[in-house]
Amino acid sequence: MATRKQSKSAKNDPQAIVRWTRRYAQNRTISFLVQWVFIVLMVVVIGVAASLTQLAQERESQALFIVAVVLMFASMLALAWFSMSRWSGELIFSITNRLYGREGYASYSGGPKGEKLPVWLTTLGGGLVVYHLIGALLICFNYMAIQYLQPWSALYMTPYLVAMALYQRLGFWAWLWPLLYGVHALLLMLGLPVRFGREYELLNIVVPVFGYGFIAILVGHIYSRYALYKLKTLTRDAIPDTNGNYEQDVPDADEEVENG
Amino acid sequence: MDDLDRTIHEPARLRILTVLSGVDEADFNFLLNTLGLTKGNLSSHMDRLEKAGFVNVVKSFNGRIPHTDFSITEEGTRALKKYWEELDAIRAMKDMSDS
Repeated sequence: MATRKQSKSAKNDPQAIVRWTRRYAQNRTISFLVQWVFIVLMVVVIGVAASLTQLAQERESQALFIVAVVLMFASMLALAWFSMSRWSGELIFSITNRLYGREGYASYSGGPKGEKLPVWLTTLGGGLVVYHLIGALLICFNYMAIQYLQPWSALYMTPYLVAMALYQRLGFWAWLWPLLYGVHALLLMLGLPVRFGREYELLNIVVPVFGYGFIAILVGHIYSRYALYKLKTLTRDAIPDTNGNYEQDVPDADEEVENG
Repeated sequence: MDDLDRTIHEPARLRILTVLSGVDEADFNFLLNTLGLTKGNLSSHMDRLEKAGFVNVVKSFNGRIPHTDFSITEEGTRALKKYWEELDAIRAMKDMSDS
């Protein structure tokens, strides 16, 4: 017996509509762009604060040291608040709606509806802030050199982001960020020439967070445009208005609605 | 042939259900933009699908703007699967009779 898949080309297979709808929903990255901008700002503030503590120690300025540590804690608290507050959720939703307003909203998580992230993954999300704070404090008190901040960050961020991408069934773009971030950390540790000089030390954490994040989000966004184009084409081609030859056999009672 | 679900068999509704079967939920604008229907047509088809128990409709407001989300129900998923199986069988029979 010929099946639908055998008798129809891939172009006309209705299952392709399902696949491309999911790909589109998984690669709508603009909402992540909003979160990413905030995370980058926080990382920059933490990096600046960590650099200031080094400067404070070089100049033996206790006031500067205190300012830097307070700045660091304040930015961590702001990040934790932003991650959990209802206001930030509404802000992201509102910006996303404005940017995607014309094409509407579709989501795919792959799991049962309303399924929440496992507790251990949510805890890891909170741990992200604590972990980076510990890293910054280690730098403050000279237990770790600032050039190890990015590899220190990648040690936690890479597996955490991979777990998030897996559990939230995000598109391939979500793998790019942790992958590139992790590879960058490895290259730094191996001493390969991907490091900015001592005077630009802060860029060693800012550029990977900013650059790889932007690349991943941009790739996802471009792919979602392609997925939407494919989806629109497929809905026309795979399910023609006449349903092939079978329309004559099963007349539709709502024809006047469709033509109206 | 008579077994084919006529609610699903209408091409626009078949497209709507197929798209919804690929996502957790989608809103009115997404379906409008993707399927190229008019607002009136889409509303009419969604009403029919909702009455048949094939889609869930959640209405809300974003500020003052009404917002409607749709998702396919388990009954809708089962009906869609059955529809494609029956259509496959019909096509197979037609292929055999043609040859």
